[in-house]
Amino acid sequence: MDQNLPPIEGTTRTRAKDRVLVDNVYGSPVDLWQHKFRRVGCLIVLALLALIVIWAIWRFTRDSTEQYSDIREHYKYGSIGAEVGGTLSDAVGGLLPPERIFAVLPAMFPDRLPRGYAGLGFITEPGRELPIGVSERFRLGFPQVGLNCSVCHVGTYRLNPNTKPTVVLGMPANRLHLQEFFEFVVNATLDPRFTPDNVIGHINKTNDPLSPLDELLYRYVLIPRTVAATLELKGYMGPLIGDPRITRWGAGRVDTFNPYKAIQFHWDLDRLPIEELSAPSDYPALWNQRIRGDNNMELHWDGNNPSLDERNRSASLGAGVTPTTLDRPALKRVADWVKDLPVPRYPLPINEPLAARGAAIYARECTACHGDHRFRQRFYDASTMPRLGKVQPWPTVGTDRQRLDSYTYTFSQNQYTLYPGSDDRFRHFRKTNGYANQPLDGIWLKAPYLHNGSVPTIRDLLNDPALRPKVFYRGYDVLDTQKLGFISTVAEENGTPYFRYDTSVPGNHNTGHRWGTTLPDADKDAIVEYMKKF
Amino acid sequence: MENDPIFQPLKFRNLTVKNRIFRSSISGRWDNYDGSGTQARVNWEEKFAKGGVGAIITSFVPVHISGRILPGYPMIDADDKIPFWRHVIDTVHKYDCKFIIQLSHGGRQRDVPGVENFMTPGISSTSHQDTFHGLLCRAATQKDIDNLVRWFAEGARRAREAGADGVELHSSHGYLFTQFLSSAVNDRKDKYGGPVENRARFLVEVIRAIRREVGNDFHLQAKLNAVDAGNALYPWEKKGNTLEESLQIAQIAEAEGVDAVHVSIGSIFPHPQLPSGAFPPDELNWWYGGMGSSGVRAYLNYAMFHFKILRPIFLYLWNRTKKDRPIEAVCAEEAREFKRRLTVPIINTGGYQDGTLIRKVIREGYVDAVSIARPLIANNNLPLILKAGDEPKQPCTFCNRCLVNAIANPLGCYDPRRFGSHEEMIKEVMTVYRPQEFPAAGEADSVALSPSWEAKRYGSEPTTH
Repeated sequence: MDQNLPPIEGTTRTRAKDRVLVDNVYGSPVDLWQHKFRRVGCLIVLALLALIVIWAIWRFTRDSTEQYSDIREHYKYGSIGAEVGGTLSDAVGGLLPPERIFAVLPAMFPDRLPRGYAGLGFITEPGRELPIGVSERFRLGFPQVGLNCSVCHVGTYRLNPNTKPTVVLGMPANRLHLQEFFEFVVNATLDPRFTPDNVIGHINKTNDPLSPLDELLYRYVLIPRTVAATLELKGYMGPLIGDPRITRWGAGRVDTFNPYKAIQFHWDLDRLPIEELSAPSDYPALWNQRIRGDNNMELHWDGNNPSLDERNRSASLGAGVTPTTLDRPALKRVADWVKDLPVPRYPLPINEPLAARGAAIYARECTACHGDHRFRQRFYDASTMPRLGKVQPWPTVGTDRQRLDSYTYTFSQNQYTLYPGSDDRFRHFRKTNGYANQPLDGIWLKAPYLHNGSVPTIRDLLNDPALRPKVFYRGYDVLDTQKLGFISTVAEENGTPYFRYDTSVPGNHNTGHRWGTTLPDADKDAIVEYMKKF
Repeated sequence: MENDPIFQPLKFRNLTVKNRIFRSSISGRWDNYDGSGTQARVNWEEKFAKGGVGAIITSFVPVHISGRILPGYPMIDADDKIPFWRHVIDTVHKYDCKFIIQLSHGGRQRDVPGVENFMTPGISSTSHQDTFHGLLCRAATQKDIDNLVRWFAEGARRAREAGADGVELHSSHGYLFTQFLSSAVNDRKDKYGGPVENRARFLVEVIRAIRREVGNDFHLQAKLNAVDAGNALYPWEKKGNTLEESLQIAQIAEAEGVDAVHVSIGSIFPHPQLPSGAFPPDELNWWYGGMGSSGVRAYLNYAMFHFKILRPIFLYLWNRTKKDRPIEAVCAEEAREFKRRLTVPIINTGGYQDGTLIRKVIREGYVDAVSIARPLIANNNLPLILKAGDEPKQPCTFCNRCLVNAIANPLGCYDPRRFGSHEEMIKEVMTVYRPQEFPAAGEADSVALSPSWEAKRYGSEPTTH
């Protein structure tokens, strides 16, 4: 061949073995052009692939959430890692659907949730799309939502029905219907109307429609995965969702440990005794945590753990965090802040002479177990308050024992398997036989009373159990200034029904805690007046 | 039919044709590889002369090997080709049929360059590859242009020496002249590029050289695009010449002394809008592979034709602008504008078959004559049928199987629906190898193809005999 023809670069003398013909490989102009182009083309394709891979890594492994400089905003809206996380192939944690889906669920199912999330007692602030207690975090390629501490630990009160509710951080979430909330999310996600077309249609009706790529991802990845994850969650929760034999939690209460058994340890709840599954109790307040921790006071109703850190981590598990998805710095920021979170003062004038008389009676009858009004200024005296923060054996306290019985030895064993091999591993959980004596700081905001919220006011609590209200309503947040607590006789307001609390239902009993019940009425009234100073 | 407009003589300055039907340029790979002619070419042209056309415009006849589009086409690049052409011309003249040699150069558009051209890019106005197959090229130098002009003039001289009744410059369909004329292709910065008159300079130089060589008393016509529609296949390509620019080019050519203008369309050939009708992907899969090494995009096109899943992509692109035009008389509207603007007769091509339509365009002054290719392949005697006042019983379906087979196979009608069987169809195609007067020899020993192959090819049960 013509030796002037250009050989294709790199292909000249490709084989030099003895038995193989050695020859040049020539290129026509078309060959040379294609040879050049293919190299460039391959590079372009590789570069595009690399860009796609980088983009995919950035998109699907990014874990970002808004950082609030104001600790109060962080407490209300910041993420502690309770959103779904882990990896794409092995997603863990999280109890709620992705943010865009979560946001349109009420619009998709007005029959199931006619008043939106606010109807479940969530507190919504102006300018905020998500209610207090619901955090947003970008994980696994999509904006996700999760719960944080404030969902259960922010409440409201009113001085009269016509004023705007005052939002109090750290207060028990007295209006929140958490059980109904989970039931709504699960049942809506498994509703036959929860179709990709319907979900995407509702999302695209908002001001921020999905991009075409996101539509595909939602249609073929996210929505099916949400349904699958919800089915799994429903399977774990079993009788806790919708079983009529289980005592309803109602407003301001949660079953602390049974969902924990299901979600964290995948127990088959159907195999537990039914009475173990009816153990709702009031949300506690998160004020003045340091003095409790420093003095080794028991932090759960049944006194199963005096460690603030462990209580915080354990509580966050209930919000949907897992050991791998927990945002430790974010949780620590909350934990540090609530250590010295002060109690708001009672907003109305106090009859000081009457309170002074009550103080004396209180000191005699109550201080040893519950401390006194100085606790709000972090005053603790072990000699005069020897049983404060300690477990009171059940035979002496005698309140409803289902909450006590729902925390079992087996469960505590399971808790020790969490965070294995790390400093986070639980070391303080234990099974007890009673209920812990709680400090009463901010008692005027902690109604109803006893661990299961079975007594609407302090004045009622000072009556013999037989005289305490048999049925009352929870969730109404107007203060009862006479009896100290919330007014508990209002069944509904502006179409919003309140939770009818029946003390005859297992887990709801208002028995026990007979201390002070034999005092004269005037002394009881004086104690009530005094306790407004707490 | 009395006073049938089709069968009125058409008088040009230097030529009179007996009727208004021209056999349009159509090729076929049955001459020798080196461009010398064979008896098959004689037989082929005789079919149409016998069928009654007024004049035959030859196949694409390269004036130089560098401008050949497919091997197996007859050329007019040297004096030793004159005797062959004289033989062809004598044959068709027996039927009172005129013979016009289409002087051509493909420029960059060489579908199968052949071993002579394989190692050198085509000569064009530009160095940019063509937009369909990615055929490579280089911009012509002044010396190249001088050579090209000379080759065309010598080609015209040879045509006249051979006894041809005229020559046609193939200055349409994306070949070399179009590459100079079209604003979509010509990116030159010299006197051959830029405004219309510059882009037409090469054509003008060729016309002048031919007139110098053969004189003014020899019929010379130019085939010109009415529009380029360079973006018909790929919408991102340039549109090219508008009708107005084309009319200006035609007026320049007329002023330089062309005797007729043959109007067509399309920046490439084939073009989505011409030839009209279908674009058969099965045939493309079978035969386009032969072009695989011709252009840098050919293998990509082949993949489009080969993989059924990709075919809709290509066919969408190919068909998307077809709806703008009819199947028959594809560019008659534009031809009428040429007729209005020019004084020389206008011939128009593009899907003419229906006698009523042909009569209408002639009678109503759209054109002076029509040129026909595919319907004449289907019915070589279409003029005689029309003259008898009939319409063809098995008309051309515009399936374009002939077009795609032409890349690799003897040209003929490859629409199996028009024949009783595949064998019958092939037998008809092969008649080109036998002179007209001969009986259909070898009928007894025609090879029967396997029925399964036939069924696979046409998706139907084979015809039994």
